[in-house]
Amino acid sequence: MLLYNLRLAWKSVRRHPVLSTLIVLGIALGVGVSTTFITAYHVLASDPVPGKSGVLHYVRMNSWGLPDSPFRDGPPPQLAYRDVREILKSGVPARSTASFPSRMTVFPPNAKEQPFRESVRLITSDFFPMFNVPFRYGGPWDRSADAKPEAVAVISSALNDRLFGGRNGVGRTFRLDDRDFRVVGVLDRWRPRVRAYDMVVDPLGEPEAVFVPLEWAGPMEVSPTGSQSTWRSPEPGEEDLPFIDRLVLGEVLFIQLWVELPDQARVAAFESYLDSYVAEQKKLGRFPNKPDNRVTPVLDLMTELRVVPPQTKALAAISLLFLVVAALNLIGLFLGKFLARASIVGVRRALGASRWTIFVQHLVECELMGLVGGSLGVLLSLGGLAILNRVYGDGPDGVAFFQLDVPMVFAAIALSLAAGAIAGIYPAWRICAIPPARHLKNQ
Amino acid sequence: MLKMDNVTKIYRMGMVETRALRDFSLEVEEGEFVTITGPSGSGKTTFLNVSGLLDAFEQGHYWLDGMDVSRLSDREMSRVRNEKIGFIFQSFNLIPDLDVFDNVDVPLRYRRLGARERKERIERAVAQVGLSSRLRHLPSQLSGGQQQRVAIARVLAGDPKLILADEPTGNLDSGMAREIMDILEQVNESGTTIIMVTHNPEHAARAHRQLHIADGRMVDLERIAPFPLNRPESRQAAS
Repeated sequence: MLLYNLRLAWKSVRRHPVLSTLIVLGIALGVGVSTTFITAYHVLASDPVPGKSGVLHYVRMNSWGLPDSPFRDGPPPQLAYRDVREILKSGVPARSTASFPSRMTVFPPNAKEQPFRESVRLITSDFFPMFNVPFRYGGPWDRSADAKPEAVAVISSALNDRLFGGRNGVGRTFRLDDRDFRVVGVLDRWRPRVRAYDMVVDPLGEPEAVFVPLEWAGPMEVSPTGSQSTWRSPEPGEEDLPFIDRLVLGEVLFIQLWVELPDQARVAAFESYLDSYVAEQKKLGRFPNKPDNRVTPVLDLMTELRVVPPQTKALAAISLLFLVVAALNLIGLFLGKFLARASIVGVRRALGASRWTIFVQHLVECELMGLVGGSLGVLLSLGGLAILNRVYGDGPDGVAFFQLDVPMVFAAIALSLAAGAIAGIYPAWRICAIPPARHLKNQ
Repeated sequence: MLKMDNVTKIYRMGMVETRALRDFSLEVEEGEFVTITGPSGSGKTTFLNVSGLLDAFEQGHYWLDGMDVSRLSDREMSRVRNEKIGFIFQSFNLIPDLDVFDNVDVPLRYRRLGARERKERIERAVAQVGLSSRLRHLPSQLSGGQQQRVAIARVLAGDPKLILADEPTGNLDSGMAREIMDILEQVNESGTTIIMVTHNPEHAARAHRQLHIADGRMVDLERIAPFPLNRPESRQAAS
């Protein structure tokens, strides 16, 4: 019966081409707009580290040293260098990494080329497996290179192309500020929708071009470019201390710490370790405020920090309302279309069609037009997403940021069916509810 | 076949009530050919609509083929219409964008018959009315008489027990009208009960029984021919 109803629906569509086109365009516009904005929300709100988000935890402690804290909703979002160094040595997490962003000058191997400033992130080697970072050539440096530290670097695919003309740059060196770094890995195309490793400062930014061991912060006197805060004023004479000592003494909070805790037992062990660490620091005169340790999984942190801009959610909701309004406006068109052939409905009723059969027949027609409009809407949404990608900017290797994935295509189909139902249920009910004798009288 | 007992049908338009059928009682035997005459607005079409379960009635009882159909659900009424009743209308009521085959197919679709059985029934019924060569013609490509024959084929394909015909020859010239009446007589001879509304006295006289309705009541009953009957002789005698 469904095929029969689809055939009747198609005949009806062809019988009223102008009206049908108007209805299809109305649904297409509604589905196109809503699919575009829901996709944008879906992309931003989706799991940024699939498969790992449950085990990666962001670490915070209340290390603020003054009674009044500017952080009203909890502990400071970043940690001090000295605390991070200690926690990294704890050995409790399966993996751990601390990082902060900076900018440095890259000197190309070809001396004729101009040096240029590039984004750099100082990390530990666990960073790469923790955040599923893909490699085109080579791989991460060894853990031993973190401690020394060795002058090794992982660079982006784009920087590799720029420095080494697209050839494999692993094993080659380039100068970063004042020293030479050996390339051990070149990243593959990598444009995470949300930078899970930096949700505090710039979650929607592009990944850095250069990654080097964290311990270079001291020797190279690397200044962080991200957010930083401190509660302590330098005491006289501290300005003359080496950079690393100033970092340690200064209580500057600028590093983000992530740990990988594969199970609840490990989470509990790490929380216990943090409690002990804070208690120990209190004995040393630090951490004067009430302890507030937080070990937060990725998705919870995304929600807490409102990584997805609220406007995105609002736009998705408004676009859904737009679809509903578009569908409601189509009720009149469907009603006119159906009532115009009331006499045929009367004949069908006389020949044995029940009220339900007539209802389903007309609803199938609405859903068919909904699906045709929805298909057109998906094409429109591809255009809408292309505009968003142009505004937002593609990834460094031309990877589109907002893409329509399979779940969103299914969502678009569901929206089309919903629009067809919203527009069609009342007209279909009206036409099936009229007594058949009255339809026939109109013949 | 059909029995109505004090059926009353009222149309309400705001405060105005119109009694289209008043204490209407009638019994039609299985295999009978009954014609109904009466002035416009007398209740003929209302009677057909009520008989065909196309319209509800307020009072009384109605039995069709031994079944009390006074208070059936919409689904049950639809099934009875589909399986037991065939309608023939003055304006043919073919669906304009379906060809002959698909028009005849409509009631069979609602009966959920298999494709092969539907095809056999359609081809047999269309052959019976002499339109086998027009299976893929649209109604607009047929004459009025041919359209009415398609409507009859649609009824025949469903093999109903009762045919309700509302002025089936009203839109046809006399030659075509005679052809249609001949087909209806043949169908009746095969055992199908026919109730036909007509304004044409000649056609009315071809039935076993002629009823006259005025002001929603049965005012006259005339037995034209004995029933059961040997039709050819009795018809000639009646005319």
